Amino acid sequence: MNANLFIPTLFAVVFAPLILGIINRTKAFFGGRHGQPFLQLYYDLFKLLRKGATYSKTTTYIFRLGPMVGLVCVLLATTLVPFGGIRSFLCFPGDILLFAYILGLMRFFTVLAALDTGSSFEGMGAAREVHFSALAEVAFFLGLIVLAKATSSASFSDMYSSSFPYIWIANSTQMLLVGVAFFLVLLTENARIPVDDPNTHLELTMIHEVMVLDHSGPDFAFILYGSALKLWVLGTIFTQTIFPFRSGSIYLDLLFSFLAMIVLGVIVGIVESTMARLRLLRVPQLLVAAAALSTVALVLSMR
Amino acid sequence: MEDGLILWALLVIPFLGGFCCILSSKGFTIRWIACATVWTMLATAFVSLWIVSIEGAIQAAHGWLFLDMLSSYHVVLLQVVFALSTLFAKSYFPAEIAHNAFNSALLPRYGMLWLSALGAMNLVFVSNNIGIMWVGVEATTLITAFLICIHVTPKSLEAMWKYLIMCSVGVALAFIGTMLVGAAGGNLKGSHSQSLLWTFLYENAGSLNPFFMKMAFLFLVVGYGTKAGFAPMHSWLPDAHSQAPAPVSALFSGFLLSTAFYCIMRYLPLVEMATGKTGWAMDILVFFGLFSIIIAAAFMVFQQDIKRLLAYSSIEHIGIMAVGLGLGGVGTFAALFHLLNHSMGKPLCFFSAGKLVQIYGTNSIYRIKNALKITPVWATGFFLSFLALIGMAPFAIFMSKFQILKAIIEKADYISLALFLFGCAVVFISALRYMLLILWGESEANIHPQKAYKKDIFLVAFPMLVLLILGLFMPEFLQNILQKAANIIQGY
Amino acid sequence: MEQLINMLMVVILLTNLLLLGSSRMGTCIPTLGFQGILLGLALPVLLFLPQGITTHILVLVLITIPLRGILFPFILFRVIRKTNIQREIEPFISYPVSIFLGILALVLAFWMNSRLTGMSVPSLHPLLLPVAFYTILVGLILIVSRKLAINQVLGYIVMENGMYVLGIAFAGEVHLLLELGVLMDVFVAVFVMSIAIYRISREFDHIDVNQLQNLKD
Repeated sequence: MNANLFIPTLFAVVFAPLILGIINRTKAFFGGRHGQPFLQLYYDLFKLLRKGATYSKTTTYIFRLGPMVGLVCVLLATTLVPFGGIRSFLCFPGDILLFAYILGLMRFFTVLAALDTGSSFEGMGAAREVHFSALAEVAFFLGLIVLAKATSSASFSDMYSSSFPYIWIANSTQMLLVGVAFFLVLLTENARIPVDDPNTHLELTMIHEVMVLDHSGPDFAFILYGSALKLWVLGTIFTQTIFPFRSGSIYLDLLFSFLAMIVLGVIVGIVESTMARLRLLRVPQLLVAAAALSTVALVLSMR
Repeated sequence: MEDGLILWALLVIPFLGGFCCILSSKGFTIRWIACATVWTMLATAFVSLWIVSIEGAIQAAHGWLFLDMLSSYHVVLLQVVFALSTLFAKSYFPAEIAHNAFNSALLPRYGMLWLSALGAMNLVFVSNNIGIMWVGVEATTLITAFLICIHVTPKSLEAMWKYLIMCSVGVALAFIGTMLVGAAGGNLKGSHSQSLLWTFLYENAGSLNPFFMKMAFLFLVVGYGTKAGFAPMHSWLPDAHSQAPAPVSALFSGFLLSTAFYCIMRYLPLVEMATGKTGWAMDILVFFGLFSIIIAAAFMVFQQDIKRLLAYSSIEHIGIMAVGLGLGGVGTFAALFHLLNHSMGKPLCFFSAGKLVQIYGTNSIYRIKNALKITPVWATGFFLSFLALIGMAPFAIFMSKFQILKAIIEKADYISLALFLFGCAVVFISALRYMLLILWGESEANIHPQKAYKKDIFLVAFPMLVLLILGLFMPEFLQNILQKAANIIQGY
Repeated sequence: MEQLINMLMVVILLTNLLLLGSSRMGTCIPTLGFQGILLGLALPVLLFLPQGITTHILVLVLITIPLRGILFPFILFRVIRKTNIQREIEPFISYPVSIFLGILALVLAFWMNSRLTGMSVPSLHPLLLPVAFYTILVGLILIVSRKLAINQVLGYIVMENGMYVLGIAFAGEVHLLLELGVLMDVFVAVFVMSIAIYRISREFDHIDVNQLQNLKD
C-alpha cells in the first residue's frame, strides 16, 4: 500500500485546527487587536481532553454518542477527499455521495444529541441547523453534479486529478460559479458569519453553538475538533475547485494546496470582519441564491 | 418619386401640425391647426387611395415606405375617423371647459398628442419594414396614454397605468414575433437590410422557415392582439375606453384597435404561405375571434357603465373581424367591409354616449333615462348607431355580419356557427334592453332639454347615411378596393 | 476569448437573478444600469470584434450605454426620490420564491433555445439566445410579481434589454434606423411611465398597483 494515500488524511488531522486559528487572527487584525495564538485551538483541545465530563440526568446514551459519532463521521470524510493532487485513501465512483451523506449523518447525530437534552434553546438551534443545511445541500449537490459532469467522473480523486486544470480552463465559467456556491455552503455548514456567528453567546440568535452548549470535557473537544475537520474537508473541496494548480511535483502541489487553505482562512476571516450576520429570515435567501448559482452552472454544462 | 412624396406627406404633416400646436397657446389657434391638419390629411389620404387604385402599390425611401391597397384603405378610414373625432372634439371640449372638467391651458399639449397619434398610426400603415411598423404601434401606445387621463382622476390614472403597462408589455411580445419573422427569413438570399421588409418577405413567403413563422405568429397574435383587444388580453380596454374623454374613446375604438389588428392582417399571408396554406394561422384567429365574442357578450349582459358597454361591443366587433379573417374567402372580404362599418358606427356611438354622459354627469346606465326628450339629436344618434352595431337589418353591419355568417356556413364549421350566433344574439338582446331604458325610461332627475346644433346633426347624419347606403347597395369602386385588399391578405 | 464572452453572458444572467432576489431599490437600479452597460458596451464589442469595429457598432454603443446604463437608472432614481420609496416590502411572490422562479425560467430559456438550435439561424454565440429569452422572462416575472409601479417599470426595462439581445441574436446587425427607432420607443416608454408614476403618487399617496382597483366589472 502506497504511503502517499495517508497524506490527505494526515494533513487534515494535523492542520485542521490551525485554519481556525488563522481565521481568528485575521479577525483580530481587522479588529485592531493582537488576538489569540495561531495554535490556540490545539491548547484548548488538550485542556478539554484532560477534563472530566458532566452529564445531565435527563440525557440518555444518545447524548454521549453524538460527539463520538460526529468525530468518526468527519474522520471518515477526510479519507474521501484528495489533497494537493494526491489521491485519497478511499476512492470509488460515487464517493461524492458518500461524502455528502457522511456529513449529513454527523449533523444528524449532533442534532439528536442536542434534542436529547430536552432544552428548548437547543431544540431551536437544531431546527435552524437542519433548515439551513437542507437548503445548503441543494447547492452542494448541484455543484457536485456540475463537477462530475465536467470531469466525467463521480469520485473526488478522479475529479481533482492531474487533468483538472485543463478541464477547468475549458469550463471556467461553471467552475467559478460552483466555487462561489461552495463557498456559501462552506460558510453555512461551518456556522460562520454571515449565516451564524461562532462568537455569539446570545442563545436567541445562535445556531450551531447553541446545540453544543451542554457538552463538556472530552465530548466538547470532540465537537470542536470535528468542526475544525469539517471546515478543513469542505475547505479543501472549495480550494481545489477554485485554485486548480498542478506543477507535476508532489511537494510543490502539497505546498500550494496548503497555502490555498491558509488563504481560505484569511478570506473567511475577512468576510467575517467586514460583514454583519444576516437576519435569520434572510439566510434562506442567501442559500437559495447559492443553489441558483449552482443551477446556472449546471444548465451551462448540460447545454 | 412624385408618388413617394405622398407617403412622406402622410407621415410628416401630422407631426408638423402637432409641433405647431405646442408652439401656440390660444385655444382658437389650436383648434384651427388641428382642423386644418386633419382635413389636409383626409384629402391626402383620398389622393393616395386614388393613386394606388390607378398605379398599384407605391414605394418610397428605398422601399422602406410602402402603400398598397390594404394599407391605403386603412389610411383613408383612419383619416375619416380622425376628422369626425376632431370635429366632435370641437364641440365636446368647450362644454368640458364650461363644466370645469378640463383646463384650457393644457390644450396645446393635447393638441400635439392628438395629432402625433395620427402621425404614429400613419407610420404603422405606410412602413414596409415590419420593425418600423412595430415602432409605430408602440409609439401610438405611448402617445395616447396621456389622452386617457385628460381628466386627472384616480380612476383615469388607474386606467392609464393599466393601458400603459399591458399594451407596452403586449406589444413588446410582438417585437419577439417580429424578430422571429426576421429569423425565419434568415436563409433567404438578399441584402441584409431587406430581411425585414414586408414586400420582400411577401415575395419569398413560400421559403420562410415554417416553424419560426408559427412561433412568430403566436407571439404576434398575443402581442398585437393585446392592443387590438382580443379576449383574454382585453382587460385594459374597457377601463381605458370608459375613462377617456369621448373623442379619445371614439378614436381608440374606431381605429386604434384596428391599427393593431392591421398588423396581424399583414402577417397572416406570410404565415399561411410559409406553412403551405394549411389554415393553421387562420384557425388561431377564429379561436381568438370567437373567444372575444363570447367574453364580450358575457360582460355586456350585466353592464352598468354606458361606455364600458360600448367598449365590450368593440371587443365583440374585433372578434367578428378576426373570425371573418380567419375563415378566408368571402370572410376576408367581409372582415374588411366590417372594419369600415365599425369605424363609421362606433365613433358615432361613443360621441353620443359621451354627450349623454356630459349632460347627465354620470356613466351609469340606470341614471341616464328619457334621453330622447332631453337631447333628441344625440339620443337618436346613440339609438341608430347602436342598432346598426348590433346588426339591425338595413344597415351595412348587418350585411358584413351576414357575409361572415355565410362564410362560416360554407366552411360547415357548426361549432363556430353556434358560438358566433349565440354571442351575437346575447349582445343583441342585452344592448336592446339597455337602449330602451336609456331612451324612454322614466327619469327622476330634472335636466333641461338641450339645444341641437347643425354640426351635431351632421355628425350624426353622416355616418348613419354611409352605413345605410352601404347596407342597401355596394358601389363598384368600393367592391374593387375591398377585393384587392382581400387578395393581398389571401396572398394572390 | 470564448470563455470571456461566456463569462459575460453568465454575468448578465446573474444580474437578472440579483434583480429577482433583492428588495432594495438602491440595489436593483444600479444592477439594472450595470446590466445596461454590459449589454451596450461589452456585448457588441465582443461579438463583432472579429469583423472590426464599424460605425454601426460605434453609434450603437455610444447611444445604448448612455441610455440603458446611465439615463434609465437616473430616471428611476429620480422617481424613487420623488415618491420616497426605498424598497418593496411585500411583493406578490416572495423573494426566495422569485429566485426559484428565476431558476425555472433559466431552464425554460435553455429548453427554448434547444428547440431552436439547428434551425437556420446562424448564431453569433450559443449563449446569446438563452440569455435573451432569460432576460425577457425575468422582466415578465418582475412585472407580474411586484406590486410597486416602479418595479414594473424596472421589469419593463429588463424585458427590453432582453429584446435588444434577441435582436442581435436573430438578426445580427439590425439596420441602424430600426435600432434607433426601438431605442427611442423604449426611452419614451420609460419617460412616460415615470411621469405616470409621479401623477399616481400625487393622486393616491402610494404607487402600489395592487391598490388600484377602482375599475372593475
